[in-house]
Amino acid sequence: MMPFRTKFAKIDLTERKVKIEEMPEEIVTKYLGGRGMNMYLLAKRFHPDIDPLGPENPLVFGIGYLTGTLSFGSRMNISAISPETGYLGDANMGGDFGAELAYTGLSHLVIEGKSEEPVYLWIENNQIEIRDAQPLMGLHTVQTQKAIRQELGDKKIQVACIGLAGENQVRFAGVRTGLKSTAARTGLGAVMGSKNLKAVAVRGTQDLKVNDPQGVLSYYRELLKGLMERKWVQALGRFGTPLMIAAGNTMGLLGVCNHQWTSVGDAGSALVAENLDRYSTGMVACWSCPVHCRHRFKITDEITGEGPEYASIGSMGWKIGSLNLENILHTVELCNRYGLDTISTGSYIAWAMELYQRGIIDEETVGFPLEWGDKEGIEKIIHMIARRKGFGDILAEASFAEKRLPPKARDFLWEVKNLPMEMTDERMTKSFALGMATASRGACHMRSRPSLDILQLPPSLLEKLYGGEVSSDFTSYRGKAKMIWWHELLYAVCDALGVCRFMTVFSSPHSPQYEEFGQLIYLSSGLKISAEGLKTIGERICTLERRILNLWGLDRRHDTLPSRYFEPIPEGPAKGHKMDPARFNEMLDEYYELHGWDGDGRPAEAGMKKLEIPL
Amino acid sequence: MRIEIEKDKCTGCHLCEMICSLFHLGAVNPSRSAIRIIKDDLDTGIHTPTVCRQCKKMKCIEKEDVDETVEKTKFVWERQRAERCPFDGLMVFGDSAYRCDLCGGDPQCVSVCTNRAIWVKE
Repeated sequence: MMPFRTKFAKIDLTERKVKIEEMPEEIVTKYLGGRGMNMYLLAKRFHPDIDPLGPENPLVFGIGYLTGTLSFGSRMNISAISPETGYLGDANMGGDFGAELAYTGLSHLVIEGKSEEPVYLWIENNQIEIRDAQPLMGLHTVQTQKAIRQELGDKKIQVACIGLAGENQVRFAGVRTGLKSTAARTGLGAVMGSKNLKAVAVRGTQDLKVNDPQGVLSYYRELLKGLMERKWVQALGRFGTPLMIAAGNTMGLLGVCNHQWTSVGDAGSALVAENLDRYSTGMVACWSCPVHCRHRFKITDEITGEGPEYASIGSMGWKIGSLNLENILHTVELCNRYGLDTISTGSYIAWAMELYQRGIIDEETVGFPLEWGDKEGIEKIIHMIARRKGFGDILAEASFAEKRLPPKARDFLWEVKNLPMEMTDERMTKSFALGMATASRGACHMRSRPSLDILQLPPSLLEKLYGGEVSSDFTSYRGKAKMIWWHELLYAVCDALGVCRFMTVFSSPHSPQYEEFGQLIYLSSGLKISAEGLKTIGERICTLERRILNLWGLDRRHDTLPSRYFEPIPEGPAKGHKMDPARFNEMLDEYYELHGWDGDGRPAEAGMKKLEIPL
Repeated sequence: MRIEIEKDKCTGCHLCEMICSLFHLGAVNPSRSAIRIIKDDLDTGIHTPTVCRQCKKMKCIEKEDVDETVEKTKFVWERQRAERCPFDGLMVFGDSAYRCDLCGGDPQCVSVCTNRAIWVKE
């Protein structure tokens, strides 16, 4: 039963024109949806000179092929050229927005041009309206969502919006929905800001017809039963992702104070997952997620929220020297309301704090002493970034801030392809490190992280999973290129389907993957794709992204790690660990070969032809 | 038999609504399910599953000349019946109301509620 997921909308904000079109079935079968289709739509409009903050930057919203069906998550991707990096912009988002869009019957939105006045989009089933957003300007992300629901008179409307940070085109502003979900990385909120687009509101009430309803019902329940029996899933549903903090600290995997250290020792007990219970009032889930990995929390009547998860706690915590959980909750929520990416915000603050520590910048530059972990200072700098005030206006420029800082400053910004390193330090875990170096959107764990590498699983199990020898020692380089290549493909497929990492092979080798996805796709849409066929789609998405990077001149030279990663960790549980340049290069060679790319990290002509890469 | 609710445990995932509509209509459409999550997603984060209480004295069909046993097996009802329910236990969409028929004795929604916010009381 086709077509399924073929309708997409083109919205021209300059001309105020809207057109709904059909995507040819053959393209849908090549890219499915979500990140895959976003990349196709981006590629069709791509040239390397597009100004990320100019009207010609295409902003693409796309739901996964299975979003809104009974599957494993209802996620979506937002993609464009990134104002933060100047290269590939792409971010994945949970919450309810994606499913709501699915029930409108549309799967992708391509937003181009720039409105003269602030506007928001209102999509109700097949009707798309461009509405005045002047009264919404300056509102924070939760206020914006409430105001739109009130204006349109329906509490079920889902809104993806920007806060003040996006309005001010802070280069690492995200797009937010609900109390927590954010398409956070690579600055897509700034793209919305540059287009004068405050929000996209959706309400869908259409039937999502599936190919084999009885088949979906019985197969889904069978998969669900298996998934919920996993200890990892049960722990996530109880503690959320903060459950990984204790192990990360004990092993020395944290990026403490801008990666100067990798553990906070006994002081880490302040941030263990159990401590969140003090503020938690229960667990909540994204649309159609049985895992429910998020806390909802309350600090005061005014400060309530969801999460925060490992990444935000780390970025507003150890990365900037703060180990006070309540302060961290406050600052995460502050970022959320401004619509700032917590990971990048923490990273640029950490950069500035190290510059201050080393005397490269001083009180005069910043306006106040920028000390590690200082609650007042951290809050102040977040306000200044979002409002582009004083030194905050410099940091709001992300890596481009170097032009306005002393020459030595750039040496302490740890990034890959202009996207800053995250809250973790990957020097000890070689697979993780390679994944950060090769991720298509810049330093990012979500493109490939094989979290199960640290579980030291039996080598026979790893060999069966990855189809080749992979060392069960996470400090070893052996087989890790294969691991990263394998996960890059799988996660590209997950992002094309709308499936969450926590319901596939992320931390458990027995979770659903290609076979199960293929079956769900068939039962839901009638489209038959083999496990091998899905893997090819994963390779197509990765290769297309790589081709886009190549057109900017990015290649092997840019698949590297910050210089600090090649220096030994000075102390703590991971003391002495570092990346060895020669071994790292060997991993890269093997990784390129697995993808079918040449030694410079460029897809070979024959491979591109076979995958039908449109660029 | 009826479905009991503990709202503090509801994670707001909507799986109950999805499976309800899929089971009865062969299509996923949360707007056309007999159970619904009333969400306070931008404030307290408290989500309240709402569904027919299977009242012994059915106000919804009071004064109607119909066979109660037969009506109870029907999933799609007329809208005005929902307006008679004192608990807002029927979901309204368009001209129709959707009433929980307990899926003939094996409620699908309960089978996917992983945090046990809803369960069957015999």
